[in-house]
Amino acid sequence: MSSALAASPPLPRMAVGRLSGTQRCAAAVLVLLVLFAVAGPWVWPDPVAQDLSRFLQPPGLAEPLGRDHLGRSVVSRLAHATRLSLLMALACVATAALVGTLAGVLAAWRGGVVDTVLHGLSEAFVALPALLVVLVASAIADGGLWPLYAGLALAQWVEYFRVVRARSAVLLGGPAVEAAGLLGLGPVHVLRRHLWPDLAPLLTTMATFGLGTSVLALSTLGFVSVGVAPPTPELGQMVTEAFPFYDEAPWMSLAPVLVLVAVLLGLLGLRGREGGS
Amino acid sequence: MSVHVEELVVTSAGRPLVDVADVGLPPGRAVTIVGESGSGKSLLAHAVMGTLAPELEARGRLRLDDTGYDVAERGNRRHLWGRRMALLPQEPVLALDPTMRVGEQVAEGAPGFRSDRRGGRRRAAELLAALGLGGWARAHPHTLSGGMAQRVAFAAATIGGAGVLIADEPSKGLDDAARDALAALLRRHLEGGGVLLTITHDLDLARRLGGDVLVMRDAGVVERGPAEEVLDRPAHPYTRRLLAAEPGRWTARPRSGGSPGGAPVLVSADGVGKGFDGRSVFADVSLTIRGGDRLALTGPSGSGKTTLGGVLLRLLAPDSGSVRHAPELARGRLQKLYQDPAVAFPARVPIGTGLRDLLHRHRPEPGRLEDLMTAMRLGEPLLRRRPGQVSGGELQRLAIIRAMLLDPLLLFADEPTSRLDLATQQETIGCLTDQVDRAGCGLVLVTHDRALARAVCDREVSLTPEPAGVPGSR
Repeated sequence: MSSALAASPPLPRMAVGRLSGTQRCAAAVLVLLVLFAVAGPWVWPDPVAQDLSRFLQPPGLAEPLGRDHLGRSVVSRLAHATRLSLLMALACVATAALVGTLAGVLAAWRGGVVDTVLHGLSEAFVALPALLVVLVASAIADGGLWPLYAGLALAQWVEYFRVVRARSAVLLGGPAVEAAGLLGLGPVHVLRRHLWPDLAPLLTTMATFGLGTSVLALSTLGFVSVGVAPPTPELGQMVTEAFPFYDEAPWMSLAPVLVLVAVLLGLLGLRGREGGS
Repeated sequence: MSVHVEELVVTSAGRPLVDVADVGLPPGRAVTIVGESGSGKSLLAHAVMGTLAPELEARGRLRLDDTGYDVAERGNRRHLWGRRMALLPQEPVLALDPTMRVGEQVAEGAPGFRSDRRGGRRRAAELLAALGLGGWARAHPHTLSGGMAQRVAFAAATIGGAGVLIADEPSKGLDDAARDALAALLRRHLEGGGVLLTITHDLDLARRLGGDVLVMRDAGVVERGPAEEVLDRPAHPYTRRLLAAEPGRWTARPRSGGSPGGAPVLVSADGVGKGFDGRSVFADVSLTIRGGDRLALTGPSGSGKTTLGGVLLRLLAPDSGSVRHAPELARGRLQKLYQDPAVAFPARVPIGTGLRDLLHRHRPEPGRLEDLMTAMRLGEPLLRRRPGQVSGGELQRLAIIRAMLLDPLLLFADEPTSRLDLATQQETIGCLTDQVDRAGCGLVLVTHDRALARAVCDREVSLTPEPAGVPGSR
């Protein structure tokens, strides 16, 4: 319609060239982890096949991380556990961020009863320690994956809700949105041009931290044996299982710890400047 | 005590921003630098203080009494801050700590406050009382009016006993009465033998301070001399242009149409009143606005102009009375310009993106945006920038374009130029009245500047502030 606006300006995007050294290293670590989680279960397909004759077999060419106390392939278990952790973390963070953001915007936009109810609900969740929510959920779950996922997401939506609600209330009450109202621009414009560009960097940062928290929470539950039920491999559970044998087979306990450290360092290192660009 | 600045050059990536051969600041005589934004006058003040941004390079010498300082070295004047030299910041409301009580903020600057808190607090209380803020020591900054905040900033800047005071746009955002009080305050500093350097684009303030005036343009001083001489009989063409940009001296523009007698009533307010927290801001205001009207809403800051505007636009519900809008005003035919256009655009998207949404929604005739851009002398590349990357004057003109795209019947302009310098104000108001005239649209101009109101509008509604003791609310 107009030549002035036809040439859409290229949006500033995060280019690889603009990442700092730390961020590149972190990204590389995460890429390797994801590769391991995707390709690993394909290369070493069976994490539960037992072969008691190969009890605590040391690492070798065929089995890079050896075999555990039941003669199961450690690398296969590790790959499956990594995939499970990453998928669960992604699902939990995506759900929590989506629910929290929608509820936050809704509360800020509608105010009144909606805000009171949602805010009260979030207050109640803040009062409970997050891990307690997950513990209760997984105790009910009895090793099932779905309740565990629901518990983790439930423990996390509150922070997204609170940040989004506070920021949206400021934006929605500001002159820019007032002007948009006078100009007859509807809620779609307000969401796309006012709220989303402002919230997106916040959400990205929070989600990065959220992923790390989820991976850690899941392995914590596995470690205290209330998370994913054996024989499904899980990082925390693998650490617990390996404990009695740390003297004879240290690789067994070190491998899952190393994966956890790599996930967390990778996510933390990726964190850039918020609100920049 | 006297200050001498010699061969001062400030550059950014090789480009000179300030290039001044010599400026003397004698005690007891005001020195005022005037000029439009971007002329380098604020940078000069910061170079003297030693508070330039790190990416700027500075050269030159500063002499304070018998001590010489190299301007290039940044930290060497730090020990003078507060005790010998102080900076009165622009927009004191933003410069004060919002979470700290006024008295405490002032006391902090007292010499020896760390060892003798009680003495510092007593000095602060005395100083605030002397400035007419006796009862306000325990107030937080957001409860103060602009003029009161300026006085608090003055107290905080001078409690350390600094003889050299540098004031950077001290009258920005102040109404006439507050500005006169500020001028009296600054003159008192001079009478006590102090040194004063004022940076301003407010020629009235320069007149009131007297002393010497330097006119800056494009990094250099184009004219200097005693205030009366420079401001009454300017020699340099640029100074003459600057003076002609004062609203009181604008040549009247011929208006098509003239005052509307029989035009339809667009907005009628009947005995409206509004207050916050139990304090009345205004009460029983009745007025009607007709198509093609040019109405000024004037009054000092804190008199409720913006609040009344919100009520008239039906963005705020009045506490009493009623506001009626003509049905024609629906669907965006009533528009508003904001005092700070930067906050009236979505901050993180290019301006063009927001305008594209508008075109998409209302589908004005094709080419209307381009025509308006040309009429406002704005280039297309501006649309690719974000609001924070465009100057105030340009952004306000973009806001005018945005409003005019909807062919409004009534445009409500809330202090649209109070943050702009005189030349930019004249240009912006010129663009605004042109467009309003061409569209036959009514204009309500909210301003604290009576001269501007008279230059633009046919009639004026003046709000008087509610009885004293009411902290200003905008």
